[in-house]
Amino acid sequence: MVNFVLNGLPVSVEKGSTILEAAQFYGFPIPTLCHMEGLSPYGACRLCVVEIGEGPRAKLVTSCTYPVEEGLKVRTASERVIKARRMVIELLLASCPQSKTIQDLASAHGVRQQRFRQEYEDCILCGRCIRMCKEQMMAKAIGFRGRGEGRSIGTPFDMKSEQCRQCGGCIYVCPACQLRCTYTEPEKAVCGGCANLTPPCVEKDSFDDMMCYMNPCVACEIKKDL
Amino acid sequence: MERLTSVEEFRTLQSRVIAALDPTVPTIVIPAGTCGQASGASDLIRVAKRYLLEKRLTDKVRLRITGCHGFCEMEPSVLIEPQKTFYPRVSMRDVSRIIDAAVEGKVIEELLFVDPTTGERIRKQSDIPFFKKQFRLLMERNERVDPRRILDYIESGGYTALAEVLAERDPEWVVSEVKASGLRGRGGAGFPTGIKWEMLAKQPSDKGKFIVCNADEGDPGAYMDRSILEGNPHSIIEGMIIGAFATGATDGIIYVCCEFPLAIKHIGMALEQAYELGLLGENILGAGFSFNMTMVKGAGAFVCGEETAMIHSIEGYTGEPRQRPPFPIQKGINGKPTAINNVETWANIPIIIRDGAKAYASIGTPNNSGTKIFSLVGKVKHTGLVEMPMGTTIGEIVYNVGGGAVGNSEIKAVQTGGPSGGCIPASSFDLPVDYDTLAKFGSIMGSGGMIVMDEDTCMVDVAKYFMNFLKNESCGKCFTCRKGTQRMYELLEDITLGAGTPESIALLEELAYVVKDTTMCGLGQSASNSVLSSLRHFRNEYEQHVVEGKCPSYVCKDLVGVPCQTACPVGTEIWRYIAQIEHKNYVDAYKTIRESNPFPSVCARVCNHPCEDRCKSGTSGGQPINIRALTRFVTDNVDPGVYKPVIEPQFGDKHPQVAVVGGGPAGLTAAHYLSLKGCKVTIFEQESELGGMLLSVIPEYKLPGEVLKSEIASLLNDNITLKYGTVLGRDITVDGLLKDNFDAVFLSFGAHNSSGLQSDIKDIQGVYPLLDYVKSVNLRGENLAIGKVGIIGGSVSAIDAARTAIRSAKAESVTVFYQGTREDMLAAKDEIDAAIEEGVSIETLVSVEEILSQDGKLAGARIVKSRLGDFDSDGRRRLKPIAGSEQKVDLDTLIITASESPDVECLLSNSHLSIDLNADGTIKVDVGTLAASIPGVFAGGDITGQVSVIDAIAAGKRAAESISCYLQGKVYKPSTGIQLPQVFIEPNRSEEDASGQSARVKLPKIDVSERRGNFKEVEISLTPENALKEAGRCLRCDLDFFKCKECQE
Repeated sequence: MVNFVLNGLPVSVEKGSTILEAAQFYGFPIPTLCHMEGLSPYGACRLCVVEIGEGPRAKLVTSCTYPVEEGLKVRTASERVIKARRMVIELLLASCPQSKTIQDLASAHGVRQQRFRQEYEDCILCGRCIRMCKEQMMAKAIGFRGRGEGRSIGTPFDMKSEQCRQCGGCIYVCPACQLRCTYTEPEKAVCGGCANLTPPCVEKDSFDDMMCYMNPCVACEIKKDL
Repeated sequence: MERLTSVEEFRTLQSRVIAALDPTVPTIVIPAGTCGQASGASDLIRVAKRYLLEKRLTDKVRLRITGCHGFCEMEPSVLIEPQKTFYPRVSMRDVSRIIDAAVEGKVIEELLFVDPTTGERIRKQSDIPFFKKQFRLLMERNERVDPRRILDYIESGGYTALAEVLAERDPEWVVSEVKASGLRGRGGAGFPTGIKWEMLAKQPSDKGKFIVCNADEGDPGAYMDRSILEGNPHSIIEGMIIGAFATGATDGIIYVCCEFPLAIKHIGMALEQAYELGLLGENILGAGFSFNMTMVKGAGAFVCGEETAMIHSIEGYTGEPRQRPPFPIQKGINGKPTAINNVETWANIPIIIRDGAKAYASIGTPNNSGTKIFSLVGKVKHTGLVEMPMGTTIGEIVYNVGGGAVGNSEIKAVQTGGPSGGCIPASSFDLPVDYDTLAKFGSIMGSGGMIVMDEDTCMVDVAKYFMNFLKNESCGKCFTCRKGTQRMYELLEDITLGAGTPESIALLEELAYVVKDTTMCGLGQSASNSVLSSLRHFRNEYEQHVVEGKCPSYVCKDLVGVPCQTACPVGTEIWRYIAQIEHKNYVDAYKTIRESNPFPSVCARVCNHPCEDRCKSGTSGGQPINIRALTRFVTDNVDPGVYKPVIEPQFGDKHPQVAVVGGGPAGLTAAHYLSLKGCKVTIFEQESELGGMLLSVIPEYKLPGEVLKSEIASLLNDNITLKYGTVLGRDITVDGLLKDNFDAVFLSFGAHNSSGLQSDIKDIQGVYPLLDYVKSVNLRGENLAIGKVGIIGGSVSAIDAARTAIRSAKAESVTVFYQGTREDMLAAKDEIDAAIEEGVSIETLVSVEEILSQDGKLAGARIVKSRLGDFDSDGRRRLKPIAGSEQKVDLDTLIITASESPDVECLLSNSHLSIDLNADGTIKVDVGTLAASIPGVFAGGDITGQVSVIDAIAAGKRAAESISCYLQGKVYKPSTGIQLPQVFIEPNRSEEDASGQSARVKLPKIDVSERRGNFKEVEISLTPENALKEAGRCLRCDLDFFKCKECQE
């Protein structure tokens, strides 16, 4: 067992746990986006940052990837954390305003406006789909390509993948495209997209008409949790 | 080569190689790193080899091809050993001469390096200022080694440290020695190398351990690692073998980025040779210790310089950082303990073992020992690789090694640490360069990039450049790094395009802090540094961009407009009239000038032309357009009557009364424009003629009285009343004027008070303050310059006074004493030249220590000569008095430049009002509206702080607008932002080819013999051919703002 201090509370958890797991166990809420139980932690969305250390050495780390250490002092909702988290949400909102998940996050954290040039992107590159494909489906059909501005998710060279079994796991875990099942136009909510089992990243053209067929609806689940 | 099986065998080999060397045989050294090859070193090598073979000189002289020596700017260069004669920028033609001279032990003087400041030719490499101040521990080895020959390295003492370690030492000793040396990681973070090694040595060794050389150098403008990789690969390999011995590492990897093909080639060869010789592989030198090394080529991602990303890349995955802990020292490549050090760190190891930790630790400062190579680039005279002891000040590097600023622009800041670093303003150049100081200052040392920026560099633009680099080089894993850098770039772009607001700056800062806080690796954490540090030190530049809509450095195109027009204080559309001249449409050209400037003929003669300083033809490396000469050409050839002032009454039937005190350029301009708006203006002038400083200070040979008079006359009309001989304080007072039916008062009576001169000097007969002297000539026609005349100062007016004095019939000689160099003088170069032509002698680097008098009459002066010393931290060269150079000069007249200030006494006398003044005695006004502290009172010109003629005219124009608004009860909002060109003038295509090639025309002058003893105007108008030629040189920056017909359609 590892003993450390969580928001002033002395706690102890199993060795090898992450800060996020510890916080969840003790009931301190930390918002996440790229994290998913059953998939390896990745630390891409930076939403789950918490403050560790003290004084000038205090720093923010992602709780989903940081293993607990003996004597660590963790603050999950310090001013610095809240400020950073809200900016992360503002950036998410500026890129992906149509995502219900992100809208809900914004509203839960009191982010009322975004001040950047509005973009309408379909993907926040959290990499959940890639990890799903690799770790749960053992397919490795999709992955990250390029870097920086040019980073995207897809198959190598955008060619139809022979590894892909069209299982739909990637769509299932996507946090950005969940608006598809709670769309503002209810008549479009059921579109028959479920019949089309090609993952959006494999065949880009069909992405726009893709509607989610998931049950239970992940977006609603997350909403309930918040 | 045979494999060496013991340390003994190695030592025998080494002594054999050294013995075979005859140190008296001259060696031609040609640096051929990537920089050298790019500037033509390969050609030199080819020519040299052929010449040596042809002339059968191979036994008389040796040729060595090495890596970069550091002075990249001067390449291709040739170094002759053993004398170390340095020939910069050698052409193929000269190679044979250089070889011949080397064989004979001679030096070719005309090919030597010339010191740009002193003009001296320097023979020895180590005497060149660039090399003189350096401490070349690593770079010096580059000179002595052909990177493709392991024997060269062994001959110069290479692998001795390894042999010593294997034969006589144990691993613990090596670790403790490295620890004691105080060596810290040269990659930028500055982690103590010895401690890292100790940690690696303590890791369990059952699975094997890795040591890695991080040679993924990717900062823009930095190439110090490349120079070692290319120039001395064996020093890295030796360092790594010693490191492996000390830490028990089994495998070594050199991770090189693929952009360094020459480095890859040399490392490949070096590894092969080291294996062949038994310095790598199993049982090295029979010491029972094995170590294998390979090279991994990176794929060109900047982020792979980050250690966890590099490990991923070496393992074959995408180069993406991961969370630490676990640290690479615990879990690195393939899960095995791994220590990663920078190229320079490894190259330092053999030196530490060779010289001992104590000697190494004595270099630099405590806690920051050793030397560091900096890549000095940007706006400095000498660029290249500079090796300095740690803790050297930035000023020392930039000024004394780099030679200071290029051109006239002053150095503003230095960017250290590349895109991840920050800027350090020139005011902090006395900071020592070490890890801790720079980090405290908000920058980082990084791997040693140093980009020098001057006044012509826009800090917002620099931040944008680095952000663009980072947004493309971020791996994209962390959302805040990927999107944050994109958004920061967007905001910076908005600011440089003029779309920014003060909120953009606030948002930029807020975002920058969050990006710094929430990203995983060093790239993201330091991505905001360039933004945050430039915001900290140059926030005013950001604010000027968003509030005033101006780019003060003339970089951001949309916030500059046409540079010449923007630089002109009255906003003359210079590009427009130059285009009109080109179309031979002189009348329209005159109208264009006159529209914005009421004094075209005056400015054509005396303007200090800020427009020419910003002319693209000049700033882009050539000579600026002679705009003043073209203005002169137009005003000389067009009747001023073609322009009819636009009368636009703004007060209906009412005619507000405005008093203008002082009839100089500012007062006349204000009066002119106010009268056109329908005001009744009364000008109160204390002299009996209008013109102010134009009349009393500017000499007649520059601005003939007739020209001034007719120009002034054209500005007067029925709405303007003149009152001569009226002195403020004596005849009128400000409150009196306000009571006396005047609705507003404009004060523009200039600076006529020569204060700052001690009265005991002033009282000596024959000593005159400069202003008193020129006034007596211009206003009263008496030239007080008699006998031997001395003038102290280097200002425009000092040279004017000198040229006035030499025209005096009673003057025997005229000498100007100036304490700085000719370049430091404020007077324009062509005016100094004209003064010399006319017989004035200019004594520079001379300071007057004492003024000697006899019986109250001037006898002479005691002067001391000085010479230029090193640069101080402000970037100025210190003056060092030369001992024994003191001498007495006989003088009959001495004219002294003294600071001029407005005589504000007159404001206070007989007045109940108190007006706010600045600390220097000038009147305090609002910069935008020119309103003084009393309602209805405005001030402009010299009285608010010394300004040039064109600035005074601009103040007059602004005052007219501001006063008119005040009289109408409106709030005057000075126009912000810049004027973009509105009128399209077809470029003259026929002459397009000729432009750009020809040189700037000079205004012709009358012959020197005609100038003596009179005040005839010296400059003559251009001929139409020359004017057309000069106008044809204009780059027409205005065309940037128009789309061509095809685009519009």
